[in-house]
Amino acid sequence: MLKINKVKQNLNIWSICSFIFIVLIILPNLNILLNFFSSPNENWNHIKEYLLKDYIVNSLKLIAFTGLFTILMGTSLSWLISAYDFPFRAFFKWALILPLAIPPYIAAYTYNGLLNYTGVIQSFLRNSFNIQVNQKYFDIMSENGAIFIFTMFLFPYVYTITRSFLEKQSASLIENARVLGRNSLEIFLYVVLPVSRAAIIGGVSLVILEVLNDYGVVKYFGIPTFSTAIFKTWFAMGDIESAARLSAILMFMVFTLLVLEKFLRGRKKFSYTTAEVRPISRQKLNKSTGILAFIYCLVIFSLGFLIPTLQLVHWSFLTYRKILSVKFWGLMFNSLSIALFSAGLIVIIALILANYSRINENLISKLYSKITVVGYSIPGAVIAIGVIVFFVKLDNSMYWLYKLLNTNSDKLVLSTSIIMLIFAYTIRFLAIGYNSIESGFEKVGKKFFEASRTLGMTTTETFLKVDLPMIKPAIFSGFLLVFVDILKELPLTLILRPFNFDTLATKAFEYANDEMIHEAAISSLIIIIISVILIYFFYRIGDKEVN
Amino acid sequence: MKKNFTIISLIFLLILSLAFLSGCSSPKEEAVANNEKVDGNNENTANNKKGVVNLYTDRHYDTDEQLLKVFTEETGIKVNVVKGKSDELIERLAREGKDTEADLLITADAGRLHRAKVQELLQPVSSEILFNNVPENLRDRDNQWFGLTVRGRVLVYSKDRVNPSELSTYEDLTNSKWKGKILVRSSSNIYNQSLLASFIAIHGEEKAKEWAKGIVTNMAREPKGNDRAQATAVVAGEGDIAIMNTYYIGKMLNSSNPEEVKVAQNVGVFFPDQEGTGTHINVSGVGLTKYAKNKENAIKLMEFLSSEKAQKQFAEANFEYPANPSVEPSDLLKSWGEFKSQNINLSLLGEYNNKAVEIFNEVGWK
Repeated sequence: MLKINKVKQNLNIWSICSFIFIVLIILPNLNILLNFFSSPNENWNHIKEYLLKDYIVNSLKLIAFTGLFTILMGTSLSWLISAYDFPFRAFFKWALILPLAIPPYIAAYTYNGLLNYTGVIQSFLRNSFNIQVNQKYFDIMSENGAIFIFTMFLFPYVYTITRSFLEKQSASLIENARVLGRNSLEIFLYVVLPVSRAAIIGGVSLVILEVLNDYGVVKYFGIPTFSTAIFKTWFAMGDIESAARLSAILMFMVFTLLVLEKFLRGRKKFSYTTAEVRPISRQKLNKSTGILAFIYCLVIFSLGFLIPTLQLVHWSFLTYRKILSVKFWGLMFNSLSIALFSAGLIVIIALILANYSRINENLISKLYSKITVVGYSIPGAVIAIGVIVFFVKLDNSMYWLYKLLNTNSDKLVLSTSIIMLIFAYTIRFLAIGYNSIESGFEKVGKKFFEASRTLGMTTTETFLKVDLPMIKPAIFSGFLLVFVDILKELPLTLILRPFNFDTLATKAFEYANDEMIHEAAISSLIIIIISVILIYFFYRIGDKEVN
Repeated sequence: MKKNFTIISLIFLLILSLAFLSGCSSPKEEAVANNEKVDGNNENTANNKKGVVNLYTDRHYDTDEQLLKVFTEETGIKVNVVKGKSDELIERLAREGKDTEADLLITADAGRLHRAKVQELLQPVSSEILFNNVPENLRDRDNQWFGLTVRGRVLVYSKDRVNPSELSTYEDLTNSKWKGKILVRSSSNIYNQSLLASFIAIHGEEKAKEWAKGIVTNMAREPKGNDRAQATAVVAGEGDIAIMNTYYIGKMLNSSNPEEVKVAQNVGVFFPDQEGTGTHINVSGVGLTKYAKNKENAIKLMEFLSSEKAQKQFAEANFEYPANPSVEPSDLLKSWGEFKSQNINLSLLGEYNNKAVEIFNEVGWK
């Protein structure tokens, strides 16, 4: 009797919903992995013989160099900002996050438009001074160019995580080293780098995941990597089987990376070195070194934000008459409504999952939260292919139901609708909403929940009346984070959207690919402005928490 | 009791949100589709009687909309247009199978049209009008697709550094005198695949492979960028000769960027192989889908698009040559002079596509 009661208790609406969500996340991805074990077709042999090596080498090169450069840039900047005083330090402290507001694919075509033969710089040199430059030095559409773009626009991941670690947790170590007579470089090499290892690795793995997820930059620059190869095999060769096989390899790479990250972090988790959290006392740099530090920050800020944004503003002025039409407002509407709706849905699902796993602290709930988080590390190309295969199967098996509802129904209802895209967003961005809500729950703790249950409320009632109001800020920030990520998202939207459904991101990318870079400017700029506002907002929240 | 109530209300909430989900998606999709639809507004009632034709197309020109409007006015048949990237449209056709709503597929390159044919997405059309309007070599051997516009893949050279009298054939580009001078885009592009396929069809595999190898040796840089980027690279001095499609020069001459116009003005267009087998041409064309539900209307639209009346506007929208030989090309194209084109059936471009891709990969043409 007791046992049955227990089962009953566990089988409430929360556990059922959670179970369904988790299964829906796993199924499409399982599909891809299973493909690995089927026997390859003829096309695959061709790919393996001539192309696969290039895909692997290029992808590895991109992640290795981007990883290295973002570490150098991110840690050096976070060290400068948190341990020294120099002109405009407070401004750069938050301005150096801004490159994150520009999605790499937008940066890629902006830089190309800026640097190529018909761009502003070369035309100016040519027309005003009659200087013909060697194209080699201005060619950004190459592997090196892609590494530059990824580094300049993804380094803030390393910068923000490392900086907040240094600011909060390393004060005593660094000050001791100073007292013991170490110079700045020594402190950086022997103290800062080792203690912030976990933070740096955490940041750089986000960078690497973003690089593997990228489709826009490598497609535009024509670099054969996994994500371009998956789409090419799928669309141009019409071979979804081999595309899924490529996806499986990529997924394998990602999982290796995640294991590696765990391993590299070692047992060191983020933990305070002392119980007392206080900021480092900053050293004032003398005039000349202060100016050097200022220039270093300014150059990076200009390359990573100011220059591309100004270029986009200029192009917007050239094209706004042509672009700002009824159709453009349609784009805005599409972008905003799908981002709002998906973000809302994702937050609801994240709430259910997070609430379930905090109430039931057992193996299953731990597994659930692991699975939820893994979704974010799977590249868009892989999710796209998994989701489409899954939905076509789903439509085929639900055809009888459609017929029942409407005798003239088409067979492919879900897989030609926008639901497929929203589903894919959910797999990819659930982790972001989940993390934010989970940390909200952690802060609140379980005391109030238990008290409420003791007083006779059900789990659901408690959730609605007690928990929900208390974690409102976490819900809100989770919602905004997901919202801005969906607004910027490219590969999933590009592939899974219904036909004739354009968003700001897809339209900008299409213009750029049709070599109409000027026309892409306004859409890009709107994406950037919304992102900047939200980033500023988060910065304020984060800053308040520190103080 | 209380518990039951909350469960019921939660389920209700779930259903409600699902309803919202579908409600949110379908009208929006329609609304957007409506934007793209070409409506014969004043004759709505007539339209409904005469029916519709659904078109999947990779073209996106405003002039097409006007043209389709004319068609609707003349026949009372409404045209619904779905625009997309060519490969994606074909993929979608394949996915939709029997349930597709598409009646017609319009897409560029015979290689691609052939791919749609091989995937059994098209069906043959037997129409005297189409046979008369579209020359035999510009349509599928089994009449599953018909070329509508023609483009040449030509040599574009630097007016400063190259004397056109030095140019002759595609084969000549592999001559050591052009070492480090040739600009061409990646082999993953279908235009290059079709070009090589035509050589396989005309000269055989051996020779085609030799040619591809020779071009790789003579390349000025690793293949990158699209066709326009090759012309720009010629003017920028990275190489002397670019292999590219004719219509891009037209597009560049009409670009919103004055620098790009200058580029186009500084290059010359040369039609190779005039003494021999002729310049490589390709088409963008139309095919009737295998599961078309409005077959008659669809064939009427195909006939209309190949007619003298429509051809000029249809071809000029993209600076291409009309497929219908009785229609004159635009003044710009005429200024480049007449040319002799390869005299092979374009179906062969599709048939040899796989072979061409293999050769490219073997000789290391990126």
